[in-house]
Amino acid sequence: MRSVVALAIITFKEGIRNRALFGIGLMALFLLGLNVSVAGFFMRDIGKVTVDMNLSALNFAGLLLVFFVAINLMAKDIDRKTIHLVLSKPISRSQYVWGKYGGILLFLSVSLAFLFLFSCLTIALLLALYPDYFGAFSWGQFVVAATFVLVKLAVLTAIVLFFSTITTSSLVTLIFSLGSYIAGVTIEEVVFYLKSDWATQERVVSESLRTVIDVLSYLLPNFTVFDFSLEAAHGLPIAFERIVLALGYAGGYSAILLLLAGFIFARREFN
Amino acid sequence: MRKVLPASILVVMLGLYVALSGAVWKQQERARLEVPAGYVIPSKFSRVLALGQQGLLSDFLFLKTITFVGGRIGSGMPLSEDDWRFVEHSLDVVTDLDPYFKDPYVLTEGLLAWDAGLIAEANQLLAKGMAYRTDDWQLPFFIGFNQFYFLKDFTAATESLMVAARLPGSPSYLKTLAARIGYYGDKSKTALLFLQELVAEADDPLMRARLQKRLQVLEGSVVMEEALDRFVEDQGRNPEKLVELIETGYLEKFPVEPYGGTWIFNKEGRVFSTSRFVDGFVPQEKD
Repeated sequence: MRSVVALAIITFKEGIRNRALFGIGLMALFLLGLNVSVAGFFMRDIGKVTVDMNLSALNFAGLLLVFFVAINLMAKDIDRKTIHLVLSKPISRSQYVWGKYGGILLFLSVSLAFLFLFSCLTIALLLALYPDYFGAFSWGQFVVAATFVLVKLAVLTAIVLFFSTITTSSLVTLIFSLGSYIAGVTIEEVVFYLKSDWATQERVVSESLRTVIDVLSYLLPNFTVFDFSLEAAHGLPIAFERIVLALGYAGGYSAILLLLAGFIFARREFN
Repeated sequence: MRKVLPASILVVMLGLYVALSGAVWKQQERARLEVPAGYVIPSKFSRVLALGQQGLLSDFLFLKTITFVGGRIGSGMPLSEDDWRFVEHSLDVVTDLDPYFKDPYVLTEGLLAWDAGLIAEANQLLAKGMAYRTDDWQLPFFIGFNQFYFLKDFTAATESLMVAARLPGSPSYLKTLAARIGYYGDKSKTALLFLQELVAEADDPLMRARLQKRLQVLEGSVVMEEALDRFVEDQGRNPEKLVELIETGYLEKFPVEPYGGTWIFNKEGRVFSTSRFVDGFVPQEKD
């Protein structure tokens, strides 16, 4: 356990030192600043637009962090063969996977917490500027939605780690994870569309395609589960079960991927 | 010399670039006005293409729509039927992406109903909003207004207004207004009361200016109708022409008709204008 924590801390430090962090942070701050100037273009729902833009900025910055920084923390280790240095220490392969995951998670949490702080500042500023146009806005729902951006990134990181244990190049990991992300955010719309009356009546989908989609809906993560932006934007109530279920789903999916990654990684040959 | 040449080329290129860039932007500005409104990706696809950012996409599409309308109106170009269809589709997609978003519904009422005359489409969009924004009194209010003012369906309008009146935060006069429609029906005064509310609610300068013009013309109609009512009450007959109202002293002078038309009246005592309260009216020669 101690070695896992030690590796996590090293990974975290390595992530924080990455120069890309400044670029991503600056971009996110720019997006948040843009929010202040754009909000005035709208007539009524300035609160909704503000929440949308803030959550999207957090989401976008988080994705960049995962795809450009987190991937390097694991895949580059294998790519550049620096992993041999780590594995020569008394640490098992699966401990390495869990340690890396912990480190990346810590890194993501700290970076996002920093951006979240700025995001709250922009909202507070806009709230002061346009107090009448924030309708049903509530901080609680915003915090829930922002937290679930992190939960989503945690699942995505597990996917990244899983793919980096089976591929030999960080570029392939990037492509696979990006593909999984895109599939994950769109799959719900596709599945529900195929299940809709319209699609059934028009017989646009064959039975076999439906089976494929059914299987895929179990294989791929459904990232829409973690999307509470509509609720946060309009102050709609969020059912407690939904939060619990989403957290359980995220935990289950990530744990399976990390366990699989550990198995595969333990059997992997490095040259 | 070795440094001077590249530097002077750079300066020339920079000047050229600035000139070109300016020309390109101007060209695009013209091109945007000339091109037809274009195609809106149906929400079935855009919900997927948004990659989980449906809220943000709805904000962007909405901005794009108001920029389009603002651009056409700002340059004095009337919107063609296709343009209005584009606006309608855009608003439909925006509200599919985020059915709780208030702004597109306000725009639906202000533009689709008032300017485009797409009343049925506007009411359909507003009804979609009512299914989600169940606490918002303004949506049934808008529907009621359209039923009253454009469709002249007073029974339906009264019902919609009563729905609006029962929702939280609705102004107390809605019930009076609903009753008034039942009693007076098609009088400019009723429309005026409605419109004053709409203007008070409109924050967008573009819509506000257009609504205020309507308000002005309706105020004119009300003044005329009241004079006409007094004339009919005293004389027991309709005047031959509206000028008679001035000649007999019931009216000091004709109110300004901001759309440039001429005031006319019908047997039921309603006063309206040859411009039919539409911008870009060209007064025609009398035959």
